[in-house]
Amino acid sequence: MANQDKSFNEKLLSYLQLVVSEGAQGAARGFSGILGQNLTVASPSVRTVNILDIPNLLGGPEKEAVGIYLRAEGDLSGQIMLIIPYEKAFELVDLLLGPMERTSHDLGRLERSALAEVGNMTGTFFLNAVASMTGLSIRPTPPAVIVDMVGAIMDIIVATTGGISEHVILLGTTFTYGDREVEAEFWVIPDTSSLETFTKPN
Amino acid sequence: MNSRSVGLGEIIVSRDPEDILVAYGLGSCLGIGMYDSTRRVAGLLHAVLPESPNNSEPPSAKYVNTGIRLLIEQMKLAGADMHRLVIRFAGGANMLTTAALSKTFDIGTRNIASAHLTFEQLNLKIAAKDVGGNTGRTVRLYIVDGKMTVRVIGSQEKEL
Repeated sequence: MANQDKSFNEKLLSYLQLVVSEGAQGAARGFSGILGQNLTVASPSVRTVNILDIPNLLGGPEKEAVGIYLRAEGDLSGQIMLIIPYEKAFELVDLLLGPMERTSHDLGRLERSALAEVGNMTGTFFLNAVASMTGLSIRPTPPAVIVDMVGAIMDIIVATTGGISEHVILLGTTFTYGDREVEAEFWVIPDTSSLETFTKPN
Repeated sequence: MNSRSVGLGEIIVSRDPEDILVAYGLGSCLGIGMYDSTRRVAGLLHAVLPESPNNSEPPSAKYVNTGIRLLIEQMKLAGADMHRLVIRFAGGANMLTTAALSKTFDIGTRNIASAHLTFEQLNLKIAAKDVGGNTGRTVRLYIVDGKMTVRVIGSQEKEL
């Protein structure tokens, strides 16, 4: 695990940028097909951030947010977390379900399932693009939706990467649908063994 | 009052009655608090993982087992008596409730088990705890009176 930081070298990052851009475009195409309207995903910014800095990027560790989490399994393995501030999550739900009268400000079953679907589609399309680029077989697990404090959501990643000085790959992107925009951030955290695969691209 | 954030893998010990030690947004992590009312000294540990993987690594506050020992050392340095320590802890949630994912990653439960084992080895009693479940918690420890509170999303602070 301690080697993970070292593995985040320039060469790896530039390769990941390529893979990830392709993945995001794949996700946009998939969404558009489902929504029947052109949904675009802005070319994502790729950077590595220290995991400890993430809570501050999202408004502090106690701030309420929605995490959509899934694992990638197969020839390449890792974790994908889509994290959205609580208010933004409603905008994303509206984007998918169409705006509707809300009597409460809670995320009910329908909203959660729509958000899980966002994760599912994003994950699937993203991984498909990565798979077609690398020729490797990768599949996502069903997504979990977590509504809680940013710090608590982040613990999932912190605990599974086993470190606290680790860097994760943060993809900032914007979903645009008609005149509506929702910003979202994905974290992609390849398992260490997968990073080794990435450092030897064909 | 002065809130001091105790980050991942950190320990803060204080004797300043104006201080409130806070571990924000604990998921599977544990917030472990110790208080000596006679010396009015308190400390809070924000531990991430259950056990230090090997003995060659220097003791770290990142792990429950080594973090507890480090916290006790720092409390002693600040004048606390080990046998007067009021020990409370909170956290250790399982943030992933999906069956397929939760089994693999239940670090929260392992963190709680590691805390119990460590305190048992040290012959120390636990005064109170609020652990497990699947919600995040913010833990506060008030130096002025040793009060420790837990807050979850959508609710008020509750005394532990």
